[in-house]
Amino acid sequence: MIRVGIPRALLYYQYYPMWKTFFEELGSQVVISPLTTQAMLSQGSSRVVADTCLPVKVFLGHVLSLVEKCDYIFIPAIRSVKRRAYNCSKFLGLPDMTKAVIPESPPILDIDIDINKGKRDLYQSIYQLGRHFTWNPFKVRQASMAAWQIYLDYQKLISSHRLTPPQAIERILGTPETQLEKHSSHLIPTQDTIAIIGHPYLLYDEYINHRLIHRLEQAHNKVLTPEMLTAKELESATARLVSKAYWTYEEEVVGAGQHYLASEADGVIGVMAFGCGPDSVMMDMVRQQANRLKTTAFMSLTLEEHTAEAGVVTRLEAFLDMIHRRKRRQVEVCV
Amino acid sequence: MRIGMPHMGNLYIPFKALFQRLGIDYVIPPVNNLYTLSLGVKHSPEGLCIPFKLTLGNLIEAAELGADTLLMVAGTGTCRLGYYAKIQERILHDLGYNIEMIQLGVSEYKLFGLLGMIKRLSNNAPWTKIISAFRFGLTKLNAIDKIERAVQKVRAVERIKGTANQLFTKAIKAIDKADDYNTLKKVEIDYINQLNQVARDTQAQPLIVGITGEFYVLLEPFSNLDVESELGKLGVEVRRTTFISEWTKFSLFLNPLGMNEKARIHKAALPYLKRDIGGDGWESIGEKVLHAKEYDGLIHLAPFTCMPEIVAQNIMPSTKENIPVLTILCDEQVAKSGMLTRLEAFVDLLERKRQVRTNKRQQITV
Repeated sequence: MIRVGIPRALLYYQYYPMWKTFFEELGSQVVISPLTTQAMLSQGSSRVVADTCLPVKVFLGHVLSLVEKCDYIFIPAIRSVKRRAYNCSKFLGLPDMTKAVIPESPPILDIDIDINKGKRDLYQSIYQLGRHFTWNPFKVRQASMAAWQIYLDYQKLISSHRLTPPQAIERILGTPETQLEKHSSHLIPTQDTIAIIGHPYLLYDEYINHRLIHRLEQAHNKVLTPEMLTAKELESATARLVSKAYWTYEEEVVGAGQHYLASEADGVIGVMAFGCGPDSVMMDMVRQQANRLKTTAFMSLTLEEHTAEAGVVTRLEAFLDMIHRRKRRQVEVCV
Repeated sequence: MRIGMPHMGNLYIPFKALFQRLGIDYVIPPVNNLYTLSLGVKHSPEGLCIPFKLTLGNLIEAAELGADTLLMVAGTGTCRLGYYAKIQERILHDLGYNIEMIQLGVSEYKLFGLLGMIKRLSNNAPWTKIISAFRFGLTKLNAIDKIERAVQKVRAVERIKGTANQLFTKAIKAIDKADDYNTLKKVEIDYINQLNQVARDTQAQPLIVGITGEFYVLLEPFSNLDVESELGKLGVEVRRTTFISEWTKFSLFLNPLGMNEKARIHKAALPYLKRDIGGDGWESIGEKVLHAKEYDGLIHLAPFTCMPEIVAQNIMPSTKENIPVLTILCDEQVAKSGMLTRLEAFVDLLERKRQVRTNKRQQITV
C-alpha cells in the first residue's frame, strides 16, 4: 500500500479531513507527522535561511519527521481558493522550497490550485494528483467527491458546534488530536471573554504558541477563535474594515478581529509570526481599528522560535490584569 | 491638480518630461534621503519592506509640497506590493492630508490603461499630444539606461575612481534639461563618448558580478546603499538585466504581442521552481541558472521580509549551476560599513576562486 505523508502544519488545520479522505478513497495509507516538538522546530530551522517565517520552519520540521516513513509527501501549491484573492508566496513556493532544502525527502506530490484559472484547470490538477494512485478517472472523481463532502461536513461541524479545528478533526475522523486534559474550570464562573485571532497553524499548534488557549482557559476565561464565526460573519466584518481581502487566508485575522473588537469579547489577542508578510499588513489594520474604537483591549503577540514561554506568560498576565481592572473601574463608575 | 509620485531611481526624469509636455503640474519630492526614510519608517507598520517605507516617505513629502493627486503602482499579485497603494492612502488620510490616490495597475491594464490614465490626468488632451509626449518620455528613459550601461562597464576599470559616477550625474542633468529629440540624441552621444575616453586601466581583467533580486531595491540606489558604485570601486564589473527601459519595452509593448523576455529566464528556473511565486523570486533563480557560466558571482538583493525573495534565497543554494551568491537584505537598519565588509570579503573570495581556476588551467597546459 502506498503511504502518503501529510505534515501537521500550515494548511493541515483547514484541509486535513479532506486530504485524508481523498487519499484513503484511492486506496493509500495516510501517515501524519506527530505534534510539534523542540527537536522538529530546530531541525526545520537549521535547513533554511534565518529570515524564513516560523510556520514554514515548523512545516519543514514536520516534513523531516516524515522522511522514510512514507512514499510520497503531499504539499500542494495553493495560489488561490477564491477569485482575485491570492496566497502568500511562501505557500506557492512550498513544494519547490521543500525539495531544495530537504533533498532526502520522498517524492513530493505537488499540485497547483488556482481558482482564477477556472474549473477545468482545477479538475485537471486533481486528476493529475490521482494519477499517482490510479489511472481510472472515475475513481479519482469519486474520491474527490467524497473528500469534498467531508470538507463541507467538517466546516459545518466547526461553525455549528463552535469547535476548534483539532477538536473537529478528532470528532470527524475519530482520531485523538488534542493532548489537553480536561480541567474542571466549569465550577468557577468564567471571568472574561478573550478572543484570539490569527492563522490556525499558530493558534492550534500548542508548541509554538506556548499553549495559549490552555493558559487562557486555566485563568477561567472564555476563549473565542476565528473558526467560531460563520463564513458570512467573517466576510461582512472583513468588508467593513478593508473592503475586499487581498489575501486568501486573511479573513480569519481581519474579519475575526473586526468582529470581536466590535462585539462579544473583552479583549482581543492577535497572534502573528515574526516576518509574516500578509499579517504585517493585516494585523496592523486590526490594531489601528482597535485604536480607533477604543472599546476593546487589543494585544498583538508576535511569535518566533526565540519567543520564551516566560515572556508570553508575563504579557498574558499583564493583559488579563488590565482587562480586569478596566472592568472593575467601569463597574465603579456605574455604581 | 498637482501630481506627486514616489521615486524609483531616475524614473522621475521621463515622467517630468511627459507631464511637462502635457502641461500637468508635477511636483518632484526630494530624492531619497535619510529624512525620507525616517518619515516612512515612522508612519509605516514595522513589518513592511523598505520599498513601502521609502515610497511612503516620498508620498508624504510630495503631499507636503502641495501635491493633491498621488500616483502609486498597484495591481493584483501575490506580493504585498499590490496592496501598498491602499494602505498608503489610508495612512496619508490618517495623517490629515487631503489627497487622492491613483493606482497604476500597469501589469494588468498594460499600455492602454497607462495612456488612458495620462489622458484623464491631462484633462482630456488630444491623443496625438499624449502619444508624442509619452514617446519623448520613453526616449529619455532609454537614453538614461543606455548611459547607465556604459557607466557600469567604465566604473570597474577607470583609473580615477568616481569619474564615471560624476559623468553619470552630469549626464542625467543634461538629459533632464534636453527639450527635444535632437539635443537628447546629442547629449547621449556626447556622454557615451566622454565615458569611452575616461582613462582606464588597460591591464585590468575585472571580475564580473551579476546583480539580481527585487525590482525596487535593484533600481533605487538609496535603498541598496549604492551597491553598484561600491562594487565598481572594488574593480568589479556589474551586470544587471533589470532596467526600467527593458521592463517598459516588454511589459507595455511586446508582452501583449506574445513576446516575453522572461520566458527564457523562467525556463532556466523551471527545474528548481515550477511556478511564479509573485514578486521577482522566479526571475532571481532563473538569472542564477542562466548566467552561471558568464558571471563570477551573483549578488542577490532583497528587502527584509520580502516573501518571494526568501523562497528564492532558500532554493538558490541547491541549483546545479554553482556560482557564489551573496544575499544582501536591505532595510532601514543596514549600515554602509557592514555592507562594505561583506562586499570586500565576497570579492576576495571570487578573486581567489579565479586564481585557483587559472592555476589549474596552467597545470593542465604544462
